[in-house]
Amino acid sequence: MAISGRVPLLLLLGLAAVVLRPEGSTVLLWLLGVLVMVGIDVLLAPVPSSVGIERRQPGTVRLGDPATGGLVLTAARGARVQVRDAWQPSAGASANRHRLRLRAGEPQRLTTPLLPRRRGDLRAAGVTVRAWGPLGLAARQRTYDVPGTVRALPPFESRKHLPSRLARLRDLDGRAAIRVRGQGTEFDSLREYVRGDDVRSIDWRASARTPHVVVRTWQPERDRRVVLVLDTSRTSAGRVARFPGDDAEDGMPRLDAAMDAALLLGSLAARAGDRIDFLAGDRRVRARQRVHGVRDVAARLQEQMADLEPALVEADWDTLAGAVQGFGRQRALVVLLTALEPSAIADGLLPVLPTLVRHHRVVVASVRDPELGRLADVSATERPTADTVYAAAAAEHELARRTRMREVLARLGVDVVDADAAQLPPALADHYLHLKAQGLL
Amino acid sequence: MSRTPSRTGWLLVLGVVAALVVAVWTTAGSEEYPTTLDPRNPGPEGAQALAEVLDGQGVDVTIVRSADDLEEAEVDGGTTVLVTSTDDLSPGTLDRLRRHARPGRLVLVEPSYRVVQEVDSDLGALTVYPDELDARCEGGEGPAGIDVDGLRVAADRMTVYRADDRTLDGARCFGRDDGAVLVESRTADIVLFGAGEALSNDQVLRGDNAAVGLRLAGAGRRLVWYVPDPADATSDEAVALSSLIPRWIEPGLWLALLAGLGLLLWRVRRLGPLSTEPLPVVVRAVETARSRGRMYRRSGDHGHAATALRRAARTDLAARLGLDRRAEVAEVVEVVAAHTDRPVERVAALLDDTIPPTSDQDLVRLAQELARLRREVRRG
Repeated sequence: MAISGRVPLLLLLGLAAVVLRPEGSTVLLWLLGVLVMVGIDVLLAPVPSSVGIERRQPGTVRLGDPATGGLVLTAARGARVQVRDAWQPSAGASANRHRLRLRAGEPQRLTTPLLPRRRGDLRAAGVTVRAWGPLGLAARQRTYDVPGTVRALPPFESRKHLPSRLARLRDLDGRAAIRVRGQGTEFDSLREYVRGDDVRSIDWRASARTPHVVVRTWQPERDRRVVLVLDTSRTSAGRVARFPGDDAEDGMPRLDAAMDAALLLGSLAARAGDRIDFLAGDRRVRARQRVHGVRDVAARLQEQMADLEPALVEADWDTLAGAVQGFGRQRALVVLLTALEPSAIADGLLPVLPTLVRHHRVVVASVRDPELGRLADVSATERPTADTVYAAAAAEHELARRTRMREVLARLGVDVVDADAAQLPPALADHYLHLKAQGLL
Repeated sequence: MSRTPSRTGWLLVLGVVAALVVAVWTTAGSEEYPTTLDPRNPGPEGAQALAEVLDGQGVDVTIVRSADDLEEAEVDGGTTVLVTSTDDLSPGTLDRLRRHARPGRLVLVEPSYRVVQEVDSDLGALTVYPDELDARCEGGEGPAGIDVDGLRVAADRMTVYRADDRTLDGARCFGRDDGAVLVESRTADIVLFGAGEALSNDQVLRGDNAAVGLRLAGAGRRLVWYVPDPADATSDEAVALSSLIPRWIEPGLWLALLAGLGLLLWRVRRLGPLSTEPLPVVVRAVETARSRGRMYRRSGDHGHAATALRRAARTDLAARLGLDRRAEVAEVVEVVAAHTDRPVERVAALLDDTIPPTSDQDLVRLAQELARLRREVRRG
């Protein structure tokens, strides 16, 4: 039940009666009268449950793009209602309070603009219906749980790096004017020599049989497998600055940076004709998807990543390595998107690496925290105190452990790509292109 | 950040509380009756000293604080009714007082012009500053049998009373040209005493004030000490507020209150419950390094911190000067010394782990010098 602003107004109107008959009983009688009217109005107000509510799901949007939540209301009899379509705050439901007059049996549609501010599945909190009585003095109110979700996909901010990397891929691919022969390429076709071609690629045997000079063309290996492994364990929850000197208060979680890198690499590798397998997990596998022969790999990956959140548990690399093997025994490029956190890697990842390295080419891609370097630099502060020096010592210690860990990984035959959040996606893509050019996939 | 209070903190709180209790306790008496010349006021302005001494001298002292209590107090021929704070006497109360005190002796202490006018319109009052006055009684032994002969009253401020001989037909003591401090009006059956200050705790020991006070108040067996209350004024003297406002105001206010309540109920009802957000964990990745630094600091591990800083500096310098990462310490020291034109011993003291710093200051200095060295090599 709720009352409207007319009730206090009506009570104030009683002042006239009190002036005419200045007695205490006048107040009581007037109050009684108002209460009776409110009571009658409540009794005459339609029951909120007589209004049927259906939700039109807003579906999936990219983070930062607007969405529209819809409700369809059907009333058994005419009613003046107020409706609030509540969403969790990060869904960004702005104009979600509606006033409308329902006519019997006539469905009416309400729309609530949404602007998701967080990645993942953002849920509706409930629909509140307030049905007013005929006098507009009082209303009945109920809140109903009408499930709804808007899925906000992770943003693909590194998409801007894709064109330049694709151009370099084309250079490798033999579709550009300059053809490169070398390691990591396979024989493609024979064609007539044009100026600018490398004379070393002339196929003399074939040229002898034709009136023209014929060259062999080469193309990089195709149909390789790339397995993207996203670590969602505790180390992925740590927030890092996007780039050195970024003063954003809480930075971004490592996981989001890793997702960005995976999206860029996935898009690039798919264009290069490789097959993508995606895996995400911590103690257990949270997402697993084969993305073969799909046009928009990024969209498929985004869909998979949308609802992943860092879990505050240690990663179980036995399970994850098992899942990688489960994609097939064919040699693949396995990209582990995790943090180069020496203790976490030494305990979990190191034991399973030798097996993985024996079957696959393994790359560890890690989001570096520029803050650590800044902490280690004593000269950055004007007057270092004991606190900053101790912190610098701890940071140097940590950096030294990381360097040692990188050496250990390198000795195992694992490539390490360690870059700041904003730099990791292009760095990883470049490393992939490098491997591709070298034919090391 | 919240911290559980330590033991000293608790002691401090306890001490403050105890001090407050003591302060309240000791000042409670003076706070209770703060009126000037109140018989229960121990402050400099009060008159507790006089009351106590009178009590000790065998005078039956009764303190009354309202007109109704006064009516109940018994007044006979041997009773003195002493009235202080006479400014609070309303005309009605004064009438009741005079009627009730008729069998005994009524003494008003320092009544103002307004009050003496109520007693008799011929009486006049004047404030003077004589410092001291001798008794020198005229027109009788002493007013109403109060013998003050040979005494001297001392006060900075007094009030003298004058009128023609018909009105002030009793004795006049402590006189001046313009009037006397202690006068009696037999027709009005009243004694006026103009040196109230002389009875206060502060001034009672000056001159013969104590004797004057004792004789003034202790002339009879009993003393009724009346401290008037302004609230004793009878209702026809004060104007009732209720007679000025229109009758509908009160029910109108009630109605407005109800309307306010309605306003509250209208605004307080939300359209559905608050929606909540499942919040993510917010941890800076660098927080582990920071807290490890704090741990070093707390355990005062200069040696460990210095080792970490020196090793980092050696690795960095070795890389910049084209040495192998795993080069010996001595080798790095030699090359750095040659590169920066510094004595080998000083560079060795800086880079070698053999001499750990002994204090935080040493560590800070070491860190600064290492940073300077690295910067120099980087530039060179």
